[in-house]
Amino acid sequence: MTTPSGPRRRLVPAYLATQGRTAAAGRHSLDRLSILHAAADLPAGLGGEHRQLWELVRPGALTVAEAAAHLRLPVSATVFIAADLAERGALKVRAPIPSAQPVNRDLAERLLSGLRALK
Amino acid sequence: MVVIVYVLAGAAAAAAPLLWLLRRAVRATRAAELRTGDAEASARAVGARADAAEQRSRAADGTARAAEATARAAEATARAAEDRAGAASARADAAEERTHAADIAARTAEAHRTVADARYAAAVRELGHLAHERLPAATTALTHPRTPVPGPLDVTGGTEELQHALESALTAAVRAVLAERDRTDAAARAALRGAASKIQALLIQVRSLLEEIQLSVDDPRLLALDFRNELTLRRVQSLAVLSGAWPGMTREDSPLAELCVGAQSRVAGYARIEITNHLREPRLAVAARAAEPVAIALAEILGNATAYSHPETRVVVSIEQGSSGALVVVDDMGVGMEPDQLERAGDLLGGQAEVLLTELGDPPQAGFAVIGLLCRQFGFGCRVEPSPYGGVRAILRLPADLLTLTDPAAPLSALAPRPITQTTPVFDEGDALPTRKRRSPRVPQQDAPPALPSPAGSTPDRARSAWSALQSGTLAGRSAVHHGPGLDGPAAPEGVETP
Repeated sequence: MTTPSGPRRRLVPAYLATQGRTAAAGRHSLDRLSILHAAADLPAGLGGEHRQLWELVRPGALTVAEAAAHLRLPVSATVFIAADLAERGALKVRAPIPSAQPVNRDLAERLLSGLRALK
Repeated sequence: MVVIVYVLAGAAAAAAPLLWLLRRAVRATRAAELRTGDAEASARAVGARADAAEQRSRAADGTARAAEATARAAEATARAAEDRAGAASARADAAEERTHAADIAARTAEAHRTVADARYAAAVRELGHLAHERLPAATTALTHPRTPVPGPLDVTGGTEELQHALESALTAAVRAVLAERDRTDAAARAALRGAASKIQALLIQVRSLLEEIQLSVDDPRLLALDFRNELTLRRVQSLAVLSGAWPGMTREDSPLAELCVGAQSRVAGYARIEITNHLREPRLAVAARAAEPVAIALAEILGNATAYSHPETRVVVSIEQGSSGALVVVDDMGVGMEPDQLERAGDLLGGQAEVLLTELGDPPQAGFAVIGLLCRQFGFGCRVEPSPYGGVRAILRLPADLLTLTDPAAPLSALAPRPITQTTPVFDEGDALPTRKRRSPRVPQQDAPPALPSPAGSTPDRARSAWSALQSGTLAGRSAVHHGPGLDGPAAPEGVETP
């Protein structure tokens, strides 16, 4: 009966990952570009979704958005899982890499002239 | 002639005596004649007398005859009178008998009247009893089957017809009430069906929209909204099922583990529900036609389990794969059910009892009725029994013909529990006896305060560190309040590496 056309109707809603909480655990500021990487072994007593996320980021770092795509969960739900792991020290969270900003030309020119002056 | 004279002489001589004799004879004759005459006269007299007598006799005879006739007449009269008297007597007898009979009849009638009066009074009493006691009880018993319905006041005294009539009156009244109730219920059901189907369709649209928005907006409140929507949807779905609408939506073959988690997500206290997957085959799925019904039934089971147990206890769910089908066993540690509640639940679950909207109570308790209806319609089974955990154990049984295997390419949801045998062994292999590994609750206790160091045996160093921890915590909290709550606060960057 499995029809390949179209996505399957949702059976498991994402909010289950919140475990009934209104905000993610801990005080890590996690957004979709926060970078996760494994820091320690998986602590016992967490659900299967925690294990999956931990296994996803173990080989390297992933942003929350990427991890969410792998887990096929919305970012808002993935944040809860990642925060649980970070709270237990199994994950490290980096703030997002700031996007490139226009260079202060005046500062750069003064630096350049200063360097030249060193010669 | 001499000779003749001689002879006459001799005859004369000889005749002398004779003459004498003759004279004598003559005299005698004369005397005789005289006497004869006398006699004759007397005879004549006698004859006359005789005649007279005869006449008299004749007269007497006539008189006698007349008398005789008179006597005969009298006799006849007498006989007639006698007959009449007899007849009169007979009539009198008959009259007496009739009187007697009438008397008896009157007495009988009196007795009958007394009996009839008593019966009438009894009938009036019975009718009053019927109207005031039996009928209300019988109608109450239609909704509350355990209500005792009193019998007639006098089982032995009343006539059979009366009892029969009373019974048929009661039966007719109950039948009328039943018919009216069915009619009302059908009308209510139809109205509810229309409303529930419409609301259900709208809520499913809301769900799809929310799911879509969740992919682009990261606000966790969307998740909370989704949850509320799902709770509402479950309520409406159960009403739709009760009112005879199509249960929810069509699905594809759905993995049993996902169905269980999906059912979990529809329950208010879902965080307390702990699902352990013991399936040998992780792709074991419920066939499309029964997928949503099974999810609805499981959600009702879990809803009962969480609603009737303490909010801090767990609800333990185990998904098992038997030799001919699968089982989902739900145990709660709640207050349990009374034997009669269990019996009623068994009736509802077994599809034995007819379910009316009016029977669900206020607020409606539809859980078992919904599960029973779905079981009957889709061919799975459910039963409840006292749980070894102290509350109620509900067992949902899925027969093999409702089970299938999903496409291995279709991945399971990340939130569905993996079979426990694939992650950690249930039993330690080295042990002589199998020991079940303790699993700590899946729910992290976020709200629990951190354990403070015990004051007993504290050293100055420990006391100092405890107090400084408290101080730093307070400071962190204050700075968090200053900088705004929640995720955006820059406070407490422990564990976060800043680049």
